[in-house]
Amino acid sequence: MFKNLDPILHSQLRLSIVSILMSVDEANFNFIKDETQATSGNISIQIKKLQDAGYIKVKKSFRNNYPNTSLSITKKGIEAFENYVSILKNYINPK
Amino acid sequence: MENTTFTPEESLLLITKTIEETKERFKENGHILVFWGTLIFIVFGSQLILSLLEFYKYTMYPVYLFPIGGIYMLYIWIKDKKQNKPKTIIGNILGNLGWVVGMNLMIMGFIFSGKLGEAMAPVFLILFALFIIVCGLTIKFKPLTIGGVLLNLIALGSFFLDRDYHGFSMMLGALVGLIIPGLLLNIARRKAYV
Repeated sequence: MFKNLDPILHSQLRLSIVSILMSVDEANFNFIKDETQATSGNISIQIKKLQDAGYIKVKKSFRNNYPNTSLSITKKGIEAFENYVSILKNYINPK
Repeated sequence: MENTTFTPEESLLLITKTIEETKERFKENGHILVFWGTLIFIVFGSQLILSLLEFYKYTMYPVYLFPIGGIYMLYIWIKDKKQNKPKTIIGNILGNLGWVVGMNLMIMGFIFSGKLGEAMAPVFLILFALFIIVCGLTIKFKPLTIGGVLLNLIALGSFFLDRDYHGFSMMLGALVGLIIPGLLLNIARRKAYV
């Protein structure tokens, strides 16, 4: 019996954002934009969804007089990601 | 990138690709190692030449290149901060370790050199070796680990050498433990992007 994949993570852009945040301690909005090649509007919407789910932490500040949005993954986000990968592996190699 | 759903295989491939690409982008480059290796090589090489030419009065002057190196590191650190580079745990650990080791080397060299006496060069090299070995093991880059181990051996071997030959130990240590692994790291990094 296959378990359902987490709908929050099972979308290309949201999964990319979470994958990036799994490999760094903290990343800012522009870095995510460069890496994913997605539009600012789309990224903002997906960030909001991930934040609402409690998977990422968003910190807004100013750096050199410019707004700076820093993102980092939460403990809940790490657990969800690990769970998602484990279910995926089950889908690919069912026992 | 579109926000579409996709198959489990595509999903796993995307995760692997994204994580690998992000990690690759933040692989430490060898530029700083080559910079410090060259600086040490120049400082101790110049001291050796000045001694051979019997200009003993001036042998201390090349050492003042080290604080200039420290200022350059500070410039690099400020530049990186301004670029808003993402923080990585490994990058943070290595950066902090580098600062702690570097500051201790400066303090030892300028304040406690008299107290350390003949042990100055070996202790200096041991601290460098410690940093290089930790870096090599952390970023899983064998030439750096091997360079660090060789540097450590040179450092321990220096205890058996007369103080007059410590300049050679420093130069050899800089070449084996810093310059060569740094250049190899740069080559490996460039290859990863081809």
